[in-house]
Amino acid sequence: MTQAFLELRNIRKNFDSFTAIDGVSLQIPRGEFVTFLGPSGSGKSTTLYVVAGFIEPSAGEVLLNGRSLLGVPPNHRDIGMVFQRYTLFPHLTVAENIAFPLRVRRRPKAEIAAKVDEMLRLVHLSAMRDRKPAQLSGGQQQRVALARALAYDPQILLMDEPLSALDKKLREDLQSEIKRIHAETGVTVIYVTHDQEEALRLSDRIVLFNHGGIEQIGTGEDLYQRPASAFAAGFIGNSNFIDIEVLENRNNIGDVRCPDGSTLSGVPLMGRTQTGKAQIMLRPEHIRLTAEAEGIGGHVTDAAFLGDVMAHTVLTGWGQEIMVRTPRQMFMGPPAGVGDAVRLGFAPADAFLFVPH
Amino acid sequence: MADAIAVKGVRAAQAAPPPPAPRRLRNGFAPAVPGLAFLLLCFMLPVLALLLRSLTQPQWGLQNYAALLATSTYANVLFNTFAVAGLVTGISALLGLPLAWFLAVAPRFWSQLVFGIVILSMWTNLLARTYAWMVLLQDTGIINNFLIWTGIIQNPLPLFGTMAGVVIGMVYIMLPFMVLSLRGPLAALDASLFQAASLCGASRVQAFTQVFLPLLAPGLAAGGLIIFVMSLGYYITPSLLGGAQDMMLAELIAQLVQTLLNWGLAGAASFLLLVLTLSLYAVQIRYFSPRRGKEG
Amino acid sequence: MLMDFARLGWMRWLLCATAGACTLFLLAPLVLLIALSFDSSPWLQFPPPGWTLQWYAQVFHDPDWLASFITSLEVGSCVTVLSVLLGLLCGFAITRGQFRGREILRGFFLTPMILPSIVLGIALYSAFLWLHIAGSFAGFVIAHLVLALPFSVVAITGALEQTDKSLEDAAMLCGAGLWEARVRVILPAIRHGLFGAALFSFLTSWDEVVVAIFMASPTLQTLPVRMLGELRQDLSPDIAVVSSLLVLATALLMGLAALFQKESAR
Ligand SMILES: Nc1ncnc2c1ncn2[C@@H]1O[C@H](COP(=O)(O)OP(=O)(O)O)[C@@H](O)[C@H]1O
Ligand SMILES: [Mg+2]
Repeated sequence: MTQAFLELRNIRKNFDSFTAIDGVSLQIPRGEFVTFLGPSGSGKSTTLYVVAGFIEPSAGEVLLNGRSLLGVPPNHRDIGMVFQRYTLFPHLTVAENIAFPLRVRRRPKAEIAAKVDEMLRLVHLSAMRDRKPAQLSGGQQQRVALARALAYDPQILLMDEPLSALDKKLREDLQSEIKRIHAETGVTVIYVTHDQEEALRLSDRIVLFNHGGIEQIGTGEDLYQRPASAFAAGFIGNSNFIDIEVLENRNNIGDVRCPDGSTLSGVPLMGRTQTGKAQIMLRPEHIRLTAEAEGIGGHVTDAAFLGDVMAHTVLTGWGQEIMVRTPRQMFMGPPAGVGDAVRLGFAPADAFLFVPH
Repeated sequence: MADAIAVKGVRAAQAAPPPPAPRRLRNGFAPAVPGLAFLLLCFMLPVLALLLRSLTQPQWGLQNYAALLATSTYANVLFNTFAVAGLVTGISALLGLPLAWFLAVAPRFWSQLVFGIVILSMWTNLLARTYAWMVLLQDTGIINNFLIWTGIIQNPLPLFGTMAGVVIGMVYIMLPFMVLSLRGPLAALDASLFQAASLCGASRVQAFTQVFLPLLAPGLAAGGLIIFVMSLGYYITPSLLGGAQDMMLAELIAQLVQTLLNWGLAGAASFLLLVLTLSLYAVQIRYFSPRRGKEG
Repeated sequence: MLMDFARLGWMRWLLCATAGACTLFLLAPLVLLIALSFDSSPWLQFPPPGWTLQWYAQVFHDPDWLASFITSLEVGSCVTVLSVLLGLLCGFAITRGQFRGREILRGFFLTPMILPSIVLGIALYSAFLWLHIAGSFAGFVIAHLVLALPFSVVAITGALEQTDKSLEDAAMLCGAGLWEARVRVILPAIRHGLFGAALFSFLTSWDEVVVAIFMASPTLQTLPVRMLGELRQDLSPDIAVVSSLLVLATALLMGLAALFQKESAR
């Protein structure tokens, strides 16, 4: 890889004795939309604040175009940020808020006026220019915050769960707005969220955080189709984990035994184990309900019709609930109802094998 | 896949610890320096110097403390101080409870009006208030004239220049504090609590003694403690309304400095007052501080 | 039952009677002050035999009252400015600092509140005698600043704690330096806290008498010191006039504060 635009090298941050992030390394090319995804407390915001300059890392390096950012105070980093909470300056109008960074930079009046107009158009809020923040809805406030963060054409735009305070419908509207603005401005974006759907919808690449470290980096598809760990598999999309035992390993393809004693062959082992205890993960949409004699036996405890899919919950013989989602067009005959005895079939190649720690 | 596994490797590959980043951000202590220096120089240092004088004047030793506790005049002063503070606290609680209760339940107009009067009296200049009581409590003052006119008494009551006058004047000053410290606990009382008590068969008096009072006890205690501590160190009102034989600790300190120039003894008396005040505040913080959430 | 005015039963009459008596007790002295200030008899007769404005005229033409009034204003203004300034700096350190012992620092700034005034008065008097600044304007300001600073710190830290730190961060990312961000964004956001700090600081100095007794000299007296001097001599109607004016000022200030509160609640 050539020199990255923004690079984090082995960042660690300790708060007293507590290590909030440990060994975060990451390279981001110019213009990319990167999302930090992970459960709350996993260190996403801390990493973001290190980039912004509000938190000084205990160890590691932040490089922009190969030059260290660590000695540079936040106001000279040329970074824009939209915060989780509403941070519009309450005593200034919408237009004055957007003009603030330009006024601080002592730009000429005419330039400021033109830029404010441009930004208001960008976020579709030209009509609100003279309102005070208290007179705006939450969604409007975040759009103004976005305009303010972009007004000075920053090199990087950081967003820390900017939509988490909004309701679902508004969130989706703003997501498409953010995507459009990213496309129009070409700014490099680091976006923090704990909502996998949001991450999948917005990002070029997703950085999956867990316990203060990076679990996996990749496109949404990478993470879904090729999870690197049980955590990644469990966090992105729905998943069923089944405890199994690997009986035999033939060229990285295994024979495994399920808890009910049935055996499967042809499970890819991914070099993760020779033999012994492990887990396989199955996506609900990779499982079929069959009437055939083979497969794992169980009976349906819940069935729900969700429009284009049927969702079933099946209780297996060993007492585990397995989620199954079947596209409607795949039904042959009437779908199974609650109480019906069924068998679960799946292609062994669809199973992901993990070795729990 | 290989890509993903390589990324997993990033976390494991920190064999060599990276060099620690140098400290660059300041910790934000600097702005406190002017205020801190001011208080240390103009507050802590003078107070400590005063306390030191109690040990060094006229010579090194504890003679000032011995004199303070052994001399009957001074012991009397201590007794007066505690007596006045105790009476003021008790009477303020007795009057403050119904007043605060009234404010909590009365119709809006009346409760706002009365509360306004409470605050107005509290904010009015201390000397103005004390002056009014000096006029009211005189032998030929309004109260005595009124009582003689109604025929309740023949001769004027000795109010001015006595401990009674001091207590009346100080209750006037402290009552608003009791009302304020009971406001919160009273607002937290739920009317449905008493509906429940009444359904349980409790009479009004039983509800009052067995539900109302216990729930307000922490507020009463907290307010009482504050009033008691403030009263211990009060100077102006006792010195204007009281007589020479009812001297309180603060008056003694002032007199020792102003007329007797006995700085050593004044320092010792100050130390005594300080220890009393601080230990009572420690009790306050330990048991009544809302931050601790002890009162639930 | 007990928290429902309509259903208090016989307790309601008892409650209203005690509350009424207490209110009378609290109000009567204030009314009396005002009545006496218009009382035509110089011997504070009540009810007054007649009404007059002569005591007001007398006070307004008395250079000594005027001088002490001016002194009080001057000391109060200096104290207010310094107290708000120091309080603001301390507030930033306490609420935004990253050092250990921030809570201890906060507690330390409050200690002058719990010290009995008499102790502070003689401690400063002793120190100022030694430094030869007893009876000076600077001495007055220092003494009252010690007393006012805790109120200012409380009001300002309270306001700062209610203001999101992200506001400051946002302003800094917009390119403002730390103190530029604080002045341009945080000060407007905490203006109510600043107003409260100024008000409390001024009132603390304006009303203070115990420490002031030891700071005063025959030529430098604040209004309360002069009032106390008068009270120790005799109960002249002058004091009724000054006291009435103070009651009036208090009422006006309360009205102002209520208006301000309404405005800030919006
Ligand atoms: N200033 C701080 N002091 C102590 N611990 C902190 C501080 N900031 C964050 N942490 C801790 O660091 C961890 C990571 O926090 P954060 O980065 O905010 O997580 P996320 O944004 O992923 O939810 C959390 O456990 C949090 O409690
Ligand atoms: Mg976060």
